Amino acid sequence: MDANIILLFYIVPLLFGTLLLTSFGSTIGASLSANWPHLESTRRQRLLGLNVVLLVGFAISVHTLWISNKISEGGAVCSSATVFSCDDVLGNIAYNTDPLFGQPWGIIGMLAFGVLMFLANSISKEPDSLWAERYSKYGMYLTLLGLPVIGLLISYEVAMGKICQYCTTAHVANVIALFGFWTIGRMHEHGDWNDDSPNETSV
Amino acid sequence: MKYDEEADVRTDTAIKIMALFFASIMFLAFTTDPIASGTKEGQRAPPLEGLSYNGTGWTEFNMDDWLVDNWSNTDTTAAWMVVQFIDTDCGFCWDSASETGQAADYFSKSTQENWDGPVVNFIANVAELNIPGHESSRDEIVAFRDKSGEETCAKGDCTTRPGNPHRFTYIDDLDLDNMDEWKVPGTPAYFLIQPDGIVAWVSSENPQEKIGDAIFRIVGGEE
Repeated sequence: MDANIILLFYIVPLLFGTLLLTSFGSTIGASLSANWPHLESTRRQRLLGLNVVLLVGFAISVHTLWISNKISEGGAVCSSATVFSCDDVLGNIAYNTDPLFGQPWGIIGMLAFGVLMFLANSISKEPDSLWAERYSKYGMYLTLLGLPVIGLLISYEVAMGKICQYCTTAHVANVIALFGFWTIGRMHEHGDWNDDSPNETSV
Repeated sequence: MKYDEEADVRTDTAIKIMALFFASIMFLAFTTDPIASGTKEGQRAPPLEGLSYNGTGWTEFNMDDWLVDNWSNTDTTAAWMVVQFIDTDCGFCWDSASETGQAADYFSKSTQENWDGPVVNFIANVAELNIPGHESSRDEIVAFRDKSGEETCAKGDCTTRPGNPHRFTYIDDLDLDNMDEWKVPGTPAYFLIQPDGIVAWVSSENPQEKIGDAIFRIVGGEE
């Protein structure tokens, strides 16, 4: 199957998660509430969206590492006929590992999204805990920390004149997660956190 | 009874995330067999790029363009490659130029000799070692390869270099980019590269074996 079509399996849930994080989340939540009544709550919509986005980020990091490994075996995954070529980016040994530890970027993504998933999942399961707001801040700081790393990786792509579409999707997931953690932190601050009266909640 | 409900939530979550992480690692371990990059035998050769001279002019060279994806041992049509690191002002490179030229002509089937194994293309990566008296230039690279011009190489006028003019490609690596990338400490150094880019033989790991003998042993064919 074409690598770009496979990418759609990540992009569609990423879009779904992103919509849940925005004001469209209320519409989606309302339409899904017949089967999942808890999705009437704005907080639950936002947290579901955040968890979906982070799961996509984690999965695409695994896929990126898989592609790196396959390329090192001598295989080809993405067509290199266009500017979009994950093979050329992930197969370039001058850029495909982090400069500090020499580890593939895929494993760095897995670790980062793993930690973020832990934070978001913990908040989702225990939203009224004392640490929930703190965890949302940790998540925001961690995803903020990801921005310079994304900038570095984009500079590599510019130097190579190629774009790794899988890596870009993971970068986008990080940026959306930043928005997600900021959104839930803001809800907490503004007192929109309680889901006892879902119809009265707003962001 | 006392219990910490908050800790349970986070521990439970952490265990689930770690399980997902390790399941992913196991999936990768079962479905892939990554090969490390490097210049030891069995590793994937680093990139080899630069402007190259093939006898007519200078053009961009990228070793990736010469490699074959998904190559297997049974494929005898794909070309192998010998990458040699030389310095036109290196005495040992001067001495070995004749033998290397003969090997290149024979294994690349550019002459009528009867090598019946796969084609082995030779590539010379020309460095300028940081040693006094080793100042080189593109003109000197051309002069060393073609035995032409008025440049001075290791042991005299380049036109007096042993052997015939070479037919294979020379890469300008005077800035030592490739040399550093391949971690080559000195010249001459030889690497036999499989069609898929894996290093099959390295002269530094086999000091008793000449490149020609290594090709006969590893690549095969009847002499």
